[in-house]
Order: sequence, then structure tokens, then C-alpha cells
Amino acid sequence: MADEPLLTILWQQLRPALVLFLLLTVVTGVLYPLVITGIAQLAFPVPANGDLIEQEGKIVGSAHIGQPFVSPRYFWGRPSATLPVAYNAMVSSGSNLGPSSPGLENAVRTRVSTLRAADPENPLPVPVDLVTASGSGLDPDISVAAAYYQVPRIARERNLGEQDVRALVSRYTEPRQFWIFGEPRVNVLTLNLGLDRMSESGVVPAPLDVPDPFSSPALGMRMTDWIVLLLFIGIFIVTVVPLGRFMYRVFTGQKNLLSPVIDPAERWLLAAAGISNGDEMDWKAFSVAMLVLSIISIAFVFLLLEVQGFLPLNPAGTGPVARDVAFNTAVSFATNTNWQAYIPETTVSYLTQMIGLAVQNFMSSAVGVAVLIGLVLGLTRKSASTIGNFWVLLIRSTLILLPISFILALLLISQGTVQTFGGPVTVPLLDPVQDATGGTVTTQTLPLGPVASQVAIKMLGTNGGGFFNANSAHPFENPSPFSNFLENVTILLIPSALCYTFGKMAGAGRKGIAILLAMTLLFLPLLWLAISAELGGNPAFPALGVDQNMTALQPGGNMEGKEARFGIVPSALFAVVTTVTSCGAVNAMHDSFTPLGGAVLLFDMMLGEVVFGGIGSGLYGMLVFVIIAMFIAGLMVGRTPEYLGKKIEPYEMKIATAIILIPIILILSTTAAAVMTGAGRAAVFNPGPHGFSEILYAFTSAAQNNGSAFAGLSAESSFYTLATAVCMLVGRYAVAVLTLALAGSFVRKKIVPEGSGTLREYRPLFILWLVFVILIIGALSFFPVLALGPVVEHLIPVFGSAIHG
Amino acid sequence: MADLKAVRDPHTILPALYRRAAIDAVGKLDPRFLVRNPVMFTVEIGSIITTLLFLQSLSGNGEAPAGFIGAIAAWLWFTVLFANFAEALAEGRGKAQAEALRRMRQDTLAKKLYLGYAIGMGKEPSEPDYAVVSSSTLHRSDLFYVKAGDTIPVDGEVVEGVASVNESAITGESAPVIRESGGDRSAVTGGTVILSDWLVVRVSANPGEGFLDHMIGLIEGAKRQKTPNEIALNILLIGLTAVFIVICATLYAFSRYSVDAAGEGIPVSVTVLVALFVCLAPTTIGGLLSAIGIAGMDRLIRRNVITTSGRAIEAAGDVDVLLLDKTGTITLGNRQAVDLIPVDGTALPDLAEAAQLASLADETPEGRSIVVLVKEKYGLRGRTVGATDTAGGMQFIPFSSHTRMSGVDFGGVQIRKGAADAMFSSLRKCGQPDVSGELRRAVDGIAQAGGTPLVVTKGGKALGVIHLKDIVKGGIKERFAQLRRMGIKTVMITGDNRLTAATIAAEAGVDDFLAEATPESKLSLIREYQEGGRMVAMTGDGTNDAPALAQADVAVAMNTGTQPAREAANMVDLDSNPTKLIEIVEIGKQLLMTRGALTTFSIANDVAKYFAIIPVAFMSTYPALAGLNIMGLRHGILAAVIFNALIIVALIPLALHGVTYRPMTAEEALRRNIIIFGIGGLVVPFIGIKIIDLLLVLVGG
Repeated sequence: MADEPLLTILWQQLRPALVLFLLLTVVTGVLYPLVITGIAQLAFPVPANGDLIEQEGKIVGSAHIGQPFVSPRYFWGRPSATLPVAYNAMVSSGSNLGPSSPGLENAVRTRVSTLRAADPENPLPVPVDLVTASGSGLDPDISVAAAYYQVPRIARERNLGEQDVRALVSRYTEPRQFWIFGEPRVNVLTLNLGLDRMSESGVVPAPLDVPDPFSSPALGMRMTDWIVLLLFIGIFIVTVVPLGRFMYRVFTGQKNLLSPVIDPAERWLLAAAGISNGDEMDWKAFSVAMLVLSIISIAFVFLLLEVQGFLPLNPAGTGPVARDVAFNTAVSFATNTNWQAYIPETTVSYLTQMIGLAVQNFMSSAVGVAVLIGLVLGLTRKSASTIGNFWVLLIRSTLILLPISFILALLLISQGTVQTFGGPVTVPLLDPVQDATGGTVTTQTLPLGPVASQVAIKMLGTNGGGFFNANSAHPFENPSPFSNFLENVTILLIPSALCYTFGKMAGAGRKGIAILLAMTLLFLPLLWLAISAELGGNPAFPALGVDQNMTALQPGGNMEGKEARFGIVPSALFAVVTTVTSCGAVNAMHDSFTPLGGAVLLFDMMLGEVVFGGIGSGLYGMLVFVIIAMFIAGLMVGRTPEYLGKKIEPYEMKIATAIILIPIILILSTTAAAVMTGAGRAAVFNPGPHGFSEILYAFTSAAQNNGSAFAGLSAESSFYTLATAVCMLVGRYAVAVLTLALAGSFVRKKIVPEGSGTLREYRPLFILWLVFVILIIGALSFFPVLALGPVVEHLIPVFGSAIHG
Repeated sequence: MADLKAVRDPHTILPALYRRAAIDAVGKLDPRFLVRNPVMFTVEIGSIITTLLFLQSLSGNGEAPAGFIGAIAAWLWFTVLFANFAEALAEGRGKAQAEALRRMRQDTLAKKLYLGYAIGMGKEPSEPDYAVVSSSTLHRSDLFYVKAGDTIPVDGEVVEGVASVNESAITGESAPVIRESGGDRSAVTGGTVILSDWLVVRVSANPGEGFLDHMIGLIEGAKRQKTPNEIALNILLIGLTAVFIVICATLYAFSRYSVDAAGEGIPVSVTVLVALFVCLAPTTIGGLLSAIGIAGMDRLIRRNVITTSGRAIEAAGDVDVLLLDKTGTITLGNRQAVDLIPVDGTALPDLAEAAQLASLADETPEGRSIVVLVKEKYGLRGRTVGATDTAGGMQFIPFSSHTRMSGVDFGGVQIRKGAADAMFSSLRKCGQPDVSGELRRAVDGIAQAGGTPLVVTKGGKALGVIHLKDIVKGGIKERFAQLRRMGIKTVMITGDNRLTAATIAAEAGVDDFLAEATPESKLSLIREYQEGGRMVAMTGDGTNDAPALAQADVAVAMNTGTQPAREAANMVDLDSNPTKLIEIVEIGKQLLMTRGALTTFSIANDVAKYFAIIPVAFMSTYPALAGLNIMGLRHGILAAVIFNALIIVALIPLALHGVTYRPMTAEEALRRNIIIFGIGGLVVPFIGIKIIDLLLVLVGG
């Protein structure tokens, strides 16, 4: 096979590529969402259809989607940045105002004065969540503190006793979920509905004592935050080994838990594609197979986006997508980036989401895992020439992802994530508002769809492309603190367990655990930095009379772009997890993070998406770093460096160096191109250094296949759609093909047995060295850009912007 | 005659070396030469750019004050010069040695034999058989004749004759050595002198291809090819350099954007960007890399080992298995008698006397050791063979490898000593049908303990047994323990039987042994280890070692060895010291460690340089970046550039001598080097740049 011309290999791989693409599309794009929708409609009919609230036989709204309230007679909710009117559920969005943006400061100042004007005698500082826009623009909740803050106004406006209104608020206060998850909060719509009932009936509900046993502060956070963080880490301590071992057994074709299902399915798919299980591929054939499948994927999604208007399951009646956006989107999903240059609610049909985007969620993750296993086989096989069969590995990865997604989807539905083929639902507004043109808006249209099935794989496959624009900040994608925890955990589930799978394949689980520990050592300080930055809040706000303190009744901190039900720590955790992995799903708007918080998210990606990283791609990137670290360490112990007994020679160093350098050079050069051109500069939303961070973030995210954004940037302009598409393609495929070439070179090598002269890669010293090497490469590459972006944005309030002397 | 000893100590010619290196450093500025070192080449381009900017600034419209650009340009040139100086210094030391070697190789006159001369007849050539020609015209396979007083013109193999040769010119050893045709002492080296007798020698290499030529080429650096690890490291360094070029180039764009975004300041100047680039680029390791390689070769030569390729030294660092000949390496050359065991009622003094008498004519070291043992332990004075020969009517039977016994006929009584089985059969011939049980037990006992039993008989009756034993060299066990910690397995090669081999192996502390070794079994053992992915090193001298030497990854031939052995090997030890292999391994490791350590140091240095340069570079746009000026520098950029240049000079001694090497495990070595060069590399520049900045403030305010 090795000497065959590429064209012959291409021809050979075309049939399996087409057949498997088709069959896997049917399985993951049709059967999977159909079955889940069926179960959802039978078992969870209410949450699956949007948790609509019925009052006297009429639907008055959704329990998860907030409504705008401007009348002083109603409790007001979070400010919403959706356009053209607040709480426009068809275009979920945060404000994306940067922390240092004068626009943000002005908006907050205006909101504070509006609140003060409506209640001039209230001397209290305003709870921060009441004057900062939510991430989704549809946040149904406010903090308990924000509800109590409004009690005097409501009481006066409605001629009710303050005690009675307080009792009502306490009645409608939702405690932390399972005592630990999220924030205690008040759903503004149901509170106002209750308020109306109380005003009408005069029946005052008895005050309710909301239990909140773990809310005491501890070491800078709350006890609940610590418990959740420990639980978060604890889950991986429990899952890594069994899940890793399970995947090891699946990938090595051994008997496993799901053999009765996986084995026949695999046989059937392979037979249909005309492949026999024993067909081994050298790295070239492997790469060609991967590229052919990816080209088919990109072409299919692109076409689907162009013709979706003529296809069924299009209740919102979306038409063809602009070509450049369609290309960007197709590339974005095939490369596991899931950068979204479009607004899903109004741009893509349910069918496109299911058989186009969700299928790519499965397929691009499976491709990542297949490349990883190819590399691992290359590193562990002795004097061989082949690195496994791409198609077999692709099928096995898909069959691992499916059942886990299935379970997660059902759990999410139980929390309120929607799952239906029904079209958008229109509900009346309790408090009609005026739009910009002076017209009255009396209704709100709620987008629905087969969301849960797609969100599950979006998290599990570290894809991150939201069903809705606001991604996991959207209440229909991520309705509760517990669903948020689940989604957060799921991102890391497979990237962490794959480390153990790798270890098993390399002969000792501890070799994988060592890598996992290195990742964790990089992750924890970054997490700590982001959490403390976000808890610190915005330095400009206290002067405006805003209360950012963390109390039992409010999360405090930097709440701009964050959802009230999650609060600060879960939002920061989610943001760090989504950026260290190449997930890119967001539950808060990264653009509005504090400068240091945003710097952490940027740096997470700049490290090369190897701290857990993308599913498969993270670990193969990490292994390349291990090779570089091993090379220098090997020299320092006076031996030709080797990893897993394979010597690292000039050819491998050439490839490994290229793999590390390509994304760095890509990010810097495309960012430079953007800041030099009018088209690049025009897209910037926030002024000053933060605008630079927006451009930098976009190209970092694209080149590292993350997909999250400093979303203020107008990424839908054709300059950005094309430039980011190039970044995504190169960042994904150049790196993957080089990784396979590395595998092809390593697989031919002999394995040097381990002796006391060999440097053991699983000992603490090497783990620390690896961490050092990754940090220093990341830091040296991006020190100047970080200095000119988030770092100086952070320093300006401290050191001032005036020129000294 | 050249004397390598003179150049072995570099201190004797130090000032001259420095002067020459300084001159060479300037010559090496030639871009055609410098392009071979991409890191330093980019620095040179930076120097040229800043120099042009300096000239422009002199006309009054520069991008920055002329003084500043000029200072930066000057220090960038110094950076290149310092790196060139390091390389030139390393080469200079090699060149001094090469010149000494070359003098040995100078044209001499050679007596080239005509084709008509027939070898194998033992006939010394006479005047009509040869013509006197220049040694440079001799080609491979030509025959030449040398006699006492002649200098051997070129390398070759003795095909006729026996002679004593003075090889001190290359070995530094003054005792003459015997060279003869056939066997393991047939190789002669050009430049050595015949002291007695004559030889006919076949030329083994064409002009310019001899061992000395190789060596001269290597140490001069002309023929020095980069070794695999050096190439791999170079790739990493080029990659880093490329990234830093991109970082600095794009920084201009980012700076312009920042100026527009902040609405104040001016874009960063090209001078500052070039300065930043040079500081970030791995100039420390890039500048010293070739010096490290040349110095490694130099260290090997100073230990009297010459090598045909740099690769071999590097491979030496990777060796995991050392095949060592038992004799000479692990044990002293010869077995020694350690005990006498009388049997069948014989008194010990009788046995001792018989053993001594039987051994008097045995001139082998074993035989002599018996005489010594008897003298020291039993007080019997040795008798001089000549003195008693005729007087006592003794007839000595010398040791022969055929009979494997020696002895004396003394007044009609046959006294013999010899190998047990040979003696047993001779006893039987003498009418002793059965060997006594006690004798057999004594013989077996010694054999089982790994010794060699020699039976002593007198008049056809066995008196007892002599216990011969291999004596393991002092300190060798500790040496092997060190090697084990370094992850190197030692395997003893011996022709002895398994039992004997096992005993000595245990005593010497080797990890494994190959008993009853044959050339084939050696070769297959090496192949076996290599199949398992191990790197094998061995020493050898005999022609029958040649296949194994050719197969081994690191093969060290003794200079006393045969030409085939020397050709099959990739190193030759002029001292012919088998334990030298261990030192070669250490030099190989030290070479790699020095490269790794300086790479780590170089990269770690960059952190401080960023903190020195970035706040100043963007001061006009973002004064708030002063928050990053944690060192409180006044002249951050210039201080960083100066530090970057001076650190190369400061590390030249390290590059030339190598990092301190101690036998330790990989883990210990890594910890040590990370602490010194990793953490040290982070901290040192913060201190260094601050000090330079303070000095700059003192000088210029």
C-alpha cells in the first residue's frame, strides 16, 4: 500500500467514505434525534416542549425564557441586549460589551439612574445582576437580592405592604439546585404572575424559608462553589479509569460492555462500506481517508445550507445561507471548531441542524479520536508500517459517543432542554413593551427544536456549536444549574478518559495518568485566576452605586454577560473548561469577562488546546508537546531522546516542531492581517485594547479549532468568514496530517526497552517539566499580544492611561 | 617528530589560541559561511538592518536617537562576533592538534616494492626490489619496505617480517611495540618509527583517506558533519527562530493598531523589534552549538581516542550495552595461582616444591605466578633455571599449548603440572587406572568455584592441585555499579567455560556474560541486543573481532589491533586501554547534556527579556504597561541586548568543557539540569539585566 500513488489511494477510499458518511448520517442525524424526540415527547412532554406556563387555559410564557418588564408595577428582570427589542427570543444574545468599554459604563449608569428614579427613596446600592445584561438576553431570573431591592417600589406602586411583597418574593425564590448548584434566584415572569394574582385576590402567601445550608463564604468563594468544584474533579477521578478502559477495549477490538451492540453494528457498517476489519492503513492512506471524509462533510453541509429552504423540517422558513457564511459554517463544523458566524435561530432549519451540523458534531469528534488512536498505534507498535484503519476507528469512536450522548440528552431534557420537531411558539407578553420605532410589542416568539440531542453531542464531542445563538447561556439549551453542571462535566469526560486509554495502549495506565496530571496542573491555576478575576467584578462599577459583593442573596462579581441561575464560579469554570478543551460552547459571554478573566480564556487556547483539548485532537497535540519536552529532557540526561522507547530523530523533530509552530504562526499572521486591513478593523465592537483582543481571540479560536468568540466582533463579514475558515482548515488538517506523518515515522521504529538510563515520562519530575515546556512555549509566543490586549486593559485602571512625565 | 602531548594541554598555548580565535571570529562574519548557522545568520541580518538605520539616523531623520540605534547595532554585531569567537576557539584547539598530527603525516620517502616482489617467502627485500618514492604516491594495496631507522610512511598492514616500532608519536607511550605479519599485531600507523629489524607493509588507505587524515579533518571542523541529535536540535532552534521572527514582524502591525486604538504614541521602531527578536532568538545555544560539538571531539582526542565520525561520539552517549572482554578489562591480564591443595596424603611442602619445580620452565604468567605463590606462601626460594640446569641434571620440559603441561625431569623422576584432563590421561598412561576420588573432588571443587585446577604429579603419582584464579581489577565493580545507575548494562565476553565465567561475572559485578565466546557468538549477541532496540558498544583488537566491531554501534579498536579490526571500528584508542570505553560513553553523554542544558537556559532566558523590552517598547502608546517593568529598568532594551551578547561569552567555558558530568540516573541528571539551567535560566537574566541597567545608568544617566 505504501508505494501506491496518492490518486489510487484516493480512489480506494472514496467508496468507504461515501458509504460511511451516508450511513453515519442516517444513524447520528436521523435515528438518534428521532429516538430521543420520541422518548422525550412520551416521558417528558412538558419540558421537552419548552416548559410552557398555562394560566386559566392560556399559555402565558415559558418557565425558562424571561420577558421584558418596564412598568414600575412589575419586578424588572435582567437587562437584555437582544435586538431589536429586549428579550427577543428569536435572536438570543449578550451585550458583548467589554469590561473597559465606556458603552458598558454608560449603560450601567443609565440603568442605575432609572432604578433610582423609579424608587428615589431607596438608598441601597443596586445588586449587580439588575444592571448588567445577561448572556442570553433571555435570562428568566434575577438574584434574590435584586428582587428584594425592588420590593419598596412594587409595594408603593401597587399599594401593597412591603412585608407582603417580601413574603411573595420568598415564596417564589428558587433555592440552589440540590443545595449546591447555581444561585438562589427568582423567576421574574412567575413572580410577576404571582404578583398580579396577589394584587387581584389580596391573598398574601405565607413567607417561605428557603434552605441554603452551604452558602457561607470560604476561602474567597462560597462553600457551595468549593463543593461543586470538588465534585467536578471528583467525577473525573471516578470516571477516567473505567471509561478509559472501556474505550481501550473498544479501540483494540476486545470484548467490552457494549460488545453485543457495537460488534454487530461495526460489522454491518464495515461490510456495507466494503472494508474488512483487518485492512490496515499506512499513514498516507489514513490521511487520505480522513481528508476525503472531511471534504465530503464540508461539501454536504455547504450544500445543505444552500438548499435547506426546499427541504422539510424548516418551520421557521429559513432560506439559503450566504455562500461565505455557509462555507465558513461547513468548515467550522467539519473541523470540530463550531465557530458560528450565523444566528442559528433565524439561519438554519431543524433538518440542517440534525443531518448537517449534529452529524458533524459526531463525525468531527470521531475523526479526532481516530487520528489520536492512529498516533498512539504509531507510538506503540514495534517496527510496523501501518497505524490502524481509519474507518474502523471512526466507527468505533462514533459508537462510543452515541450511547453517552443518548443518556446525556435525556438528562438534559429532564432539566428543561427542549426536544421537539414543533416550530416556534408565540406567547403573549405580560407587560407589552415599545420597540425602537415606538410600536408596541405584545408577543414573544420562542424558538424550539430538537435541541437536547444536539446539545449532548456538542458537549461530549467538544464541538461547542450552539443550537441557539447564545449557546449554553440560552435557557432552552442549558435550563438549570444542574444541566449546566452536566454539560460542563461532559466536555471533559472523554478528553480526560482518553488519557487513560492512551496509557493502556502504551502498556501502562500510569503513562496516561501522567499526562492527565500535567493537564490538570495547567488547568487548576488558570481556573483559579479566572474565578478570582470574575469574582472581583468590574472596577468601574462601585463608583456607580452598584453592589458587586458576593452575599447569600446574590452572586456579585462581574455579572455582565452571565446568567443569574449560574452565577460567577460556574460561569468561570465553564469558560475555562470550554477554552482549555477545544469545545467553545459558552454559558456566558466571554467578550464581557474581566480583562484578566478574558486573558485566561485566550491563553487557554494559546497553549495549543492541549490542556485536555479537543476530543482526540487535544491528546494528540499534547503528545507532540510531550515529544518536544522529551527531546530537550533527553538531551539533558545525555541520551538520544526517546519516547515510549522510540527514538526522537531529526525527522520527528521536524514534524513535531511544525505541529507546534503552525497554529502560533497562523494566529499571529492572520491577526496582523486583520489589524492592517479596513475590513479587519471594521468588525471590532469594543474600543481600545479590548478591540484588539476581539480580533486576536477570533483567530486564536479558529486556528485552535475552539469556536468560542469575543462575540462582539462582527464575524459575519466575508473577510472574517474566509480568514477564519482558512485558519480552521489549516489548524485542523495540516496539524492532523502532520500528526499522522509522525505516527507513520514512529511506527517503523524499534522500541528501546526501558532501563534506568531511560527517562520515565510518568514520573513527577517529567510531568513538571512538561508543564514548564508548554507554559513557556505558550507564554513566549503570545506575551506581546497578551500585553497589548487584555494585560494592558487590566493595567490601565491601575496605572492610568496618561503618559508619564 | 610531532608530539601530541604538547597540544594536549591547551593552557600552554592559550594566548595564541585566543588571538587566532578573535581574528577568525571576524572572518566568520562572511554571510556565506554564517548561513550554515541559521540562528546567528538572522542575528547578522538584524545587525545589518540596525546598522543601516543607524546610518540613516546620523542624517538626522532616524526612527530613534542615533545613539540608541548605534548602541543596539554595535551590540548585535558583538552578539554575532561572540558566537563566532566561541566556534573559532573550539576549532582553534582542534587545529593545534591537527597540525601536530599533520606534521606526522608529512611527506616522507617510501621504499615502494615492485610487483615482482613475492610475499610469503620471508625474504627481506633488497635494493633491486624497490624504488624510493614520495609517500603521497602510495595507494591502497601497494607494498613498501621499511627497515630500522625508517619512518613508516603511511598506515598499513604488515605482510612480512617482525620489527619493534616506536609509536610514542601517537600514543605518547615510550615503550616500543612489536609488529609482525598475521595475528593481532599487524597494523602499523604512518609517522611511527621502526627501531629494529624490517617489515614489508601493505598500504591500507589511499592518500588522504588514512586514519590520521580523518582525524585531522574532524578536529579541524572542516569535515565535521552534524550529528543526528545536533540536526534535530537545530530544527527546533530554527523553528523557534521562525516563530520569533513572526512575533516581532506582526508586532509592528499590532503596535500600529494599538496606536490608533489608544489615540496616542508612535508605532514601535524597527530597531526595537530587531533588538527584541535577537534577544528572543535562541542565540545562546545557537551561538554555542557548533562549539559544543567541536569541543566534544576535542575532549575525546585529548583522551587519545580518535574517531571517524561525530556520530559515533553521540552514539556513545546512547549506549545501553557494553560488551567488555574479560581479559584485560575486567580481570588483570592473567590468572594467578592462589592456593595449593595436597591430595592422597601428600605433605603440603612436597606439593609446593613439586609445583615450583614443574613451573620453573613455564614462562607463561600463570607459571610465574605459581613460583611466586610458592615463594611467598611456603618460603621456597625460586631456583634459577640456568643455574641448576646442568648442575642438578635437570631437564626442563617447557609449557606447550599442545601438551598443556610443563615440568622437569629431575634425577629420573618426572615432575609435571598441567591442565586436569591432560594430566588425568597422562596418569592413566603411567599405569594409574583410576584417578583417586580425593583428587577428583579437589579438581571439581576448584572448577566449580570458577578457578582453573592444575594437577601436579611426581613420578606418575598425583600430589595435589594448584588453584589458578582470575583476578578482578580493583575498583571495576564500583565502575559497573555506576554504569548500571546510568542504565548501561555490562556484558563480559570470555572464552572461559560457563562456570568460570559465571564466577568472575559475579565477582566483577557485570550484568551478564558470554562464555565460550566465538566471533560468531559475539556477532549474534550484538545482533540480538540490537534487535531488542539496544545500542551496543564493544572493544576489540583481533581480526576475528572485526565482524562484531562492524556490527556494534560504537566500536573501539585498540591501536595495537589489526588493520581489519581498526577499519571495522568507528573509534581507535591510541592507548589501547579497554576501559576507555567507559570514558567514551561519558564524553558522549556530556556532549548531549551540554546541548540540552544550554537550550533550556537559552529559552528560559526569554521570559526576563520580555519583561525588560515590552514595557519600554510600547511606553508611548500604553504607559500603563509600566506595570510590567518589574525590574524597574531605565534602559531595558539596551540592557537586554547587552546581556544577550555577554551571556554567550560567559558560557563559552561551559560549552568547551561540557556540563559537569557525574554518573547518575536519568532522573537525577534531569533534576539537576532543570534546577541549574531551567530555573537558573529564568532567574539569572533578571539579575543580569538589572545589573547592566544600573551600570548603564551610572555611565549615561
